Amino acid sequence: MRLFLLIFGFLITSEVYLLAAEAGMPQLDPTYWASQGFWLILIFTLLYLALSKLFIPKIKNSIDDRENRIKDDLDEAQKLKEVAEAKLKEYEISIENAKKDVQKILFESKNKLNSEIQNKKKTFEKEIETEIENAEKEIESFKKDSLESISKISEEITSKIIENISGEPMNQSSVKATVQESVKKNIGKYL
Amino acid sequence: MATNPMQQFSVHRIGPEIKIAGIDLSFTNASLFMLLSALVICAVLYLGTKEKKLIPDKLQLISELFYNFIAKMISDTAGSKAKPYFPFIFSLFMFVLFCNMLGMLPYSFTVTSHIIVTLIMAVFIFIAVTIIGFLKHGFGYLKLFVPSGVPAVLLPLITVIEIISYLSRPVSLSVRLFANMMAGHTMLKVFGGFVISLGMLGGWLPLSFSVALTGLEILVAFLQAYVFAILTCIYLNDALNLHH
Repeated sequence: MRLFLLIFGFLITSEVYLLAAEAGMPQLDPTYWASQGFWLILIFTLLYLALSKLFIPKIKNSIDDRENRIKDDLDEAQKLKEVAEAKLKEYEISIENAKKDVQKILFESKNKLNSEIQNKKKTFEKEIETEIENAEKEIESFKKDSLESISKISEEITSKIIENISGEPMNQSSVKATVQESVKKNIGKYL
Repeated sequence: MATNPMQQFSVHRIGPEIKIAGIDLSFTNASLFMLLSALVICAVLYLGTKEKKLIPDKLQLISELFYNFIAKMISDTAGSKAKPYFPFIFSLFMFVLFCNMLGMLPYSFTVTSHIIVTLIMAVFIFIAVTIIGFLKHGFGYLKLFVPSGVPAVLLPLITVIEIISYLSRPVSLSVRLFANMMAGHTMLKVFGGFVISLGMLGGWLPLSFSVALTGLEILVAFLQAYVFAILTCIYLNDALNLHH
């Protein structure tokens, strides 16, 4: 269909050529055909040379430069990203190590503290025991002393009371024996 | 201006008469507008490439857009083998586009509205493509006229049709551009004439139509340049890749 129309159109164009030129289609007036062809070829050739030698390489250059720049930037960003990731890993590992160290140090110091506490406790306990022993010994000696002095004082008081009541001194040894006996009987109540 | 709507297409001599071997090669208004188009193209591209900026300014963006547009068109239609022909297609597109666009200015002359101009370009493309085809494929290029997968009975007929269609390429290519430009400009002129003849009362309708038509013509101006370039790419594709 298109083909038919084209051929038809072409036929008509050539058919009406002579008529049309007179009827006012300046396109079909051949006076300046050669001139148009000449100038078209000349100007288009010059334009082609200017574009292909001068402007197209420039535009291509600029586009390529931009693409390269973008590519380089992307590459650099990728590199930096990798470095950052490596650093992050390092950092994580160091944190992990630090945590382990802390665990270790904590454990060690705990153990050390425990053993120290244990030692101190033992020494303190020993000291306390000796102290207690000493104190007990002292108390024991006090007891003995106080018993003796109590007996003496009681003897003296008893002999004095008897002297005051009877008016004459009692036999010391018998007083002593009686007091001793009563002391022995009652001393358990107080000591 | 003359009232005849075809008057705008008349070619007249500017400056002295130049005759070489009896042929009139005088500088005409057609030559002037060819030269102007070429100069405007060079000016735009010169300003667009003057400073190479990472972030382009408007003119640089325009030249890069043209470049990418044509580059994409060529790679889409003719593949990577057509790369060496990029400067030619680019020049062709720019030349036709700027001739069409300059023709849209009032009182200007539309170079591409002359059949002789479009025919010379189309015939050049036709001959060039045919030569490229024979250089690339030898006589194998004639296989273009014998499509595969056609029943043997129809083959002679199809081959004849293919040959005629191939030979009519320069005509269709040139007439398409020429007719579009001429028809559009004639219509603009006719409606412009109506505005005057209908006067203040009735002239508004053709005026508004004229405005709409101007927009349409700008679209056509771009579209025809694009079609001219893309058809060249398609013919080139036939010559380079022989895909029948």
